[in-house]
Amino acid sequence: MTYDIQIWVKVAAFIGGGMAMGFGAIGAAIGEGYTAARANEAIARNPELAGDLFKTMLVGQAIAETASIFALIIAMLLLFADFSHVTTLTISIFLASGLCMGLGAIGSGIGSGLPTGEACAGIVRQPGMRNRITTIMLAGSAIAQSPAIFALVTSLILLFVDFTGRPISPTWAAIIGAGFAAGLGAIGSGIGEGLVAKSGCEGIARQPLSATLTTNTMLLGMAVTETTAIYGLLIACILIFKNFPAAESIASSMALISAGLCMGIGAIGPGIGEGFTAQSAVRWIARSESSAAQLTRSMLVGQAVAESTGIYALVISLVLIFVL
Amino acid sequence: MEELGKIHQLIVPFFGHTMTFNLEVILMTWIVFIALLIFGFFAARNKRVIPGPVQVVGELFIAQLYGLTEDAMDKELGKKYGPMVCALFMFLLFSNWSGLLPFMEEPTKDLNTPLSLGLMGFFIAHYAGIRAKGFKGYIKEYFEPIFFMMPLNLIGELAKVVSISFRLFGNIMGGSIIILVVSHLTYSVLLPPFLNAFFTIFVGAIQAFVFTMLTIVYISVQVK
Repeated sequence: MTYDIQIWVKVAAFIGGGMAMGFGAIGAAIGEGYTAARANEAIARNPELAGDLFKTMLVGQAIAETASIFALIIAMLLLFADFSHVTTLTISIFLASGLCMGLGAIGSGIGSGLPTGEACAGIVRQPGMRNRITTIMLAGSAIAQSPAIFALVTSLILLFVDFTGRPISPTWAAIIGAGFAAGLGAIGSGIGEGLVAKSGCEGIARQPLSATLTTNTMLLGMAVTETTAIYGLLIACILIFKNFPAAESIASSMALISAGLCMGIGAIGPGIGEGFTAQSAVRWIARSESSAAQLTRSMLVGQAVAESTGIYALVISLVLIFVL
Repeated sequence: MEELGKIHQLIVPFFGHTMTFNLEVILMTWIVFIALLIFGFFAARNKRVIPGPVQVVGELFIAQLYGLTEDAMDKELGKKYGPMVCALFMFLLFSNWSGLLPFMEEPTKDLNTPLSLGLMGFFIAHYAGIRAKGFKGYIKEYFEPIFFMMPLNLIGELAKVVSISFRLFGNIMGGSIIILVVSHLTYSVLLPPFLNAFFTIFVGAIQAFVFTMLTIVYISVQVK
């Protein structure tokens, strides 16, 4: 039995593909289940609207599934990759790419299920606002997908960027680190943005008169909640595109992996925390429009403070990349 | 699939350094400018009390965006920054939608465009902050709540530029890559129009709005 590079690349591709689809299936399933649960509840309250609610539920579930379809694309690309021109670096590329997409799909999958479930409950509460609630649901779950899109972009860049001529020794670690940074970093923001979008749907159903204001605050809150996933994408881009000089010692490789892990794990908490902040702000702005200015201000300040731990993680991973 | 990540560049030597021009991005930016000018010309040509179709669209943009700016700041500052906000939103919207046309690429797909727009917003916000609070009051903000928080506040401000520009870049780039890959996998049968409708029209419009909204908020946070 001989083990040449091609065999190892195949092994990496199969493990990567398995992880991409395996992890990628977690989030979307939870989100879709939540949507169906809220739809059941809504149908029980007003069985006359069952047809409409059923439609909304199916549309919502289809959107919530997007993240795991991204994971499916990556898994297919890895399983049917071209194994004829491979180098040692391809092993870590395939592993990192699968890991990145798999982990990155968890948050957005759960997150995009939350607004669609709340939309079903909202339509039953306020059937006249059906169209508006559906629009907000679509916008909310589309934005909640963007952390998964960042993970997908990172995986695809890893697969298609030309790494020839780079030294093997720290580059393999940079690639794995990039996968961790973008993948883990997407989890928190995905869930957080889902929480914000959920309260956007709820707010419009409760107080249709302040729909425009609620929508604007929701979009703003989601955009700020997404920030830590963007830091993850930034660290991943730096790790992929920076040309690291060859280094024999294992320490410099480990520094790059830790940079990715640090940013990825450090982004989970701030993402969820900022989501809580914006969720409550959006919910209460919908109910008391007159205090919107104060609530927006306290939301932004609260999110900035919740984000500071994510900024610490960003600083430490930049130090790990550029100083050590 | 080979075109992924390839850019036509013009590299010019410049006093010992090199200047790199991304030709497609510059060309597409100018095309968007020209489209905006044409739209503006037809929207403002023979204005009437009962508006024509193009004038209605123009008025819709202006009224909504001025309203947003005045809500976030106040009436006077809203009048001052309103034109910039309108220009920013319409440029981003036209840029993000330009990818729909064949042989065209979104200028926002290249990081340079969002980054320069983000830097523009950053400088305008901080200029407005210095104008509103005076230089001393502006500097004092960085030393709050305690003086040693200064480096972190500074990094937090710089991180805003990174997050605003990478958000737009990541979404537009991601959408176009997904469309490219899925079209390749399905031999361009059936799926691409739906993907274009979702990623280019829907996500493009939302991201243009989010970028504009954040720029307004950054200015209003500095002013207050």
